[in-house]
Amino acid sequence: MLKTQELTLNLGPHHPSTHGVFRCVLNLEGEYIQKAVNHLGYLHRGIEKLAESRTYTQFIPYNGRLDYVAGMLNEWTYVHAVEKLMGITEEIPERAQYIRVILGELQRLASHAIYIASMALDVAGATAWFYGFRDRDEILDLLEMVSGQRLMPNYMRIGGVAADLPEGFIEKCQALIDEFPNRIAEQEGILIGNEIFQARVKNVGPISKEMALDYGLTGPNLRASGVDTDLRRDEPYGIYDRFDFKVPVGEKGDTFDRVLVRIEEMKESVKIVKKALRDIPEGPVMAKVPKVIKPPVGEVYSRIENAKGHLGFHIVSDGSTKPYRLRIYSPCFVNIGIFPEMAKGIHLMDAVVALASLDIVLGEIDR
Amino acid sequence: MYGQGLIKGLRITLKHFFEKKITQQYPEERPNLPERFKGSLTLNVPKCIACGLCSNACPNHVIKIESQKDENNKKKLTGYKVMLERCLFCGFCVEACPTKALEWTKEFELTKFYREDVNLDLFKGYVPSPDDDKPAKPENEDTAQAS
Repeated sequence: MLKTQELTLNLGPHHPSTHGVFRCVLNLEGEYIQKAVNHLGYLHRGIEKLAESRTYTQFIPYNGRLDYVAGMLNEWTYVHAVEKLMGITEEIPERAQYIRVILGELQRLASHAIYIASMALDVAGATAWFYGFRDRDEILDLLEMVSGQRLMPNYMRIGGVAADLPEGFIEKCQALIDEFPNRIAEQEGILIGNEIFQARVKNVGPISKEMALDYGLTGPNLRASGVDTDLRRDEPYGIYDRFDFKVPVGEKGDTFDRVLVRIEEMKESVKIVKKALRDIPEGPVMAKVPKVIKPPVGEVYSRIENAKGHLGFHIVSDGSTKPYRLRIYSPCFVNIGIFPEMAKGIHLMDAVVALASLDIVLGEIDR
Repeated sequence: MYGQGLIKGLRITLKHFFEKKITQQYPEERPNLPERFKGSLTLNVPKCIACGLCSNACPNHVIKIESQKDENNKKKLTGYKVMLERCLFCGFCVEACPTKALEWTKEFELTKFYREDVNLDLFKGYVPSPDDDKPAKPENEDTAQAS
């Protein structure tokens, strides 16, 4: 007589489709998952504690090490929090605001491109993987031109940005952005329209609206479940109130919706960059801030819409040059929390796809 | 028709198959790096006034400066070490430098066989010359002489 037995399987610790080291212990009944337990902490570097021994300016480069596929957005979140603490959000020069929006949206495009690419690779679509990376690489070339580095730009400063845009950047960026809709269409053609891909991702790991809200998901994952929310539109920071863009919302909240929402978001990002490139004024890029930054005593919580969701910084200042305490609210950490729930009862093969669709970056989860 | 999307995808792939290749054949073909690229560090020793601003700006205390006071009570650099193994390549030191003595180079192949070879001694190769004491000339004068 055939007998089945529960099997405990270690998924990892390794690079799980996305980025960083993640381990998940699965209880399998045949090939179906009964229980999944997340194990985090393999990439812990104590960044929150490091902040306490660095001055406010010195902590900026560490933000690129959080979510290292969207470094520019992390830096923006941090400097925005410190600016709010100092009460100088209104004094940031116009040009700096536009530069932040352009680079932030470019970074979002790069982050989503890598998401689509790694999603494709997880269902064994190696071609789409390379196309995604080609697109991302061209964006990173632009970021490198501005800041000197591809992943950890260290370009945002408290009160503006480090330097003005280099010569020839606007033209190059314009050329890429004009080309980008074709690239997205290409990804759609090769991946989204593909029947094999659809068969693999449709109805896999659905998250209902209520469940998404209960688990506190944010960003594209929440929008895929049908909740219409976007911090850029709902609580505009910087100059986002000047841009008009759609917020794509999914219906079922399955893996396919999560991919679609990102594709649609990329189209909107292209529009935002286009408008910003058209409107960008001349002028200074740094506000008048003291050389030694000493925010007043107090605390602040500030969040912006990162590529993965709401990234927030809670900074407590005791009036000295260093933060007394800095806490990072990480969207990936919250999003990974729903994975055991999603994985329950589904096939092992589908669990990998469901995990990839959450778009986690372990650098941010473990901090 | 089932399989239409598949054929469409294959058509895109086929189109790219006959395009110009975009892969960079790295060791033979050198990358074209932008002006602001952060590679290794270089120090123009005569320009350095040993103020220590770079060392203070560094988040990881990577830069160690040694200096002596000469007869005019002016600080003179006697050692400049960069512990590159702990460097974040953030560039705060270059930004802080008031005389633009410290600068980035475009050298990016920093892999070494031994750990101690990774760290830089930017003062070591410096040989004092009589030109050092001359005040820095304005740039256009320099080019006029060269031509």
